[in-house]
Amino acid sequence: MERNQMHRQVSVMRQSLFDQGYLDEQFIQLEELQDDANPNFVEEVVTLYYRDSSRLILSIDQALERNPLDFNKLDTYMHQFKGSSTSIGAKKVKAECTQFREYCKVGNGEGCMRTFQQAKKEYTILKRKLEAYFQARQSGPSETACRPRN
Amino acid sequence: MAPAIEGMVPAIESSEGNNKMNKGYQYPSWKKKLRGLVVDNEELCRIVEKGIMGLCGVETQAVETGEAAMELIASGATFDIIVIDRFLPSMTGPETARKMREMGVESKIIGLFALYFEGDEEEFVAAGVDDFKEKPLSPNWLVPILRELDN
Repeated sequence: MERNQMHRQVSVMRQSLFDQGYLDEQFIQLEELQDDANPNFVEEVVTLYYRDSSRLILSIDQALERNPLDFNKLDTYMHQFKGSSTSIGAKKVKAECTQFREYCKVGNGEGCMRTFQQAKKEYTILKRKLEAYFQARQSGPSETACRPRN
Repeated sequence: MAPAIEGMVPAIESSEGNNKMNKGYQYPSWKKKLRGLVVDNEELCRIVEKGIMGLCGVETQAVETGEAAMELIASGATFDIIVIDRFLPSMTGPETARKMREMGVESKIIGLFALYFEGDEEEFVAAGVDDFKEKPLSPNWLVPILRELDN
């Protein structure tokens, strides 16, 4: 594919992640941290997010199977999960985490479980979209790693 | 002047010189050498917070626990700004802040949280923090504070 077309495609992919509400401004912050010394910073950070969060998600899943639920523990896990999700700008995942907290607060186990299922869904969708985006970015002609200029 | 980045507003019109030349956003540089400390148990959060503080011209260290932070301070390290996460594994965020104040640390201390729990703010404030902020740490929020510290 011609260089400009690839560029455009990557740019469009990136923009749609914001337009569709998957990512917020925090992702732009990560792009700001990317430079010639750290050309793949964003991808590395996102990879770290998915690696560390997968363990956390497992812990939350296990905690949600206990009876009775330990809401304090769930809160602590969710704080970590939200913190990480916030750090990469995972907007929809963040929203589910906030919702989860509301259910935890009132001891609504059902609500917690439902919300967590949704959080995992958003988490997975974002992962796929980001993987596709990074792949498109890498497979283009080698560029400096600065965010695509609009 | 640099083009605006979607969703981000340049915090200042800087006549103080530039940090990070290649960026569309003009980050400030400071008269003093500003030093920062991030205390956060999550590696990802440490990396990102340290990076953002660095972008804002603060030479930053990051540690995982309150204990590690206290060790640094006890060894003589000084900081202009310290950000502490609410949830730390053993010594909590507020406890860490309190111990720092007890040791005579006069730095700007910010308590950070990802999820809001009642009582957290009060606990942090009682421990002596200057501010209590929801993550993420953003340049728009940070730069005015740093400007104050620089004066």
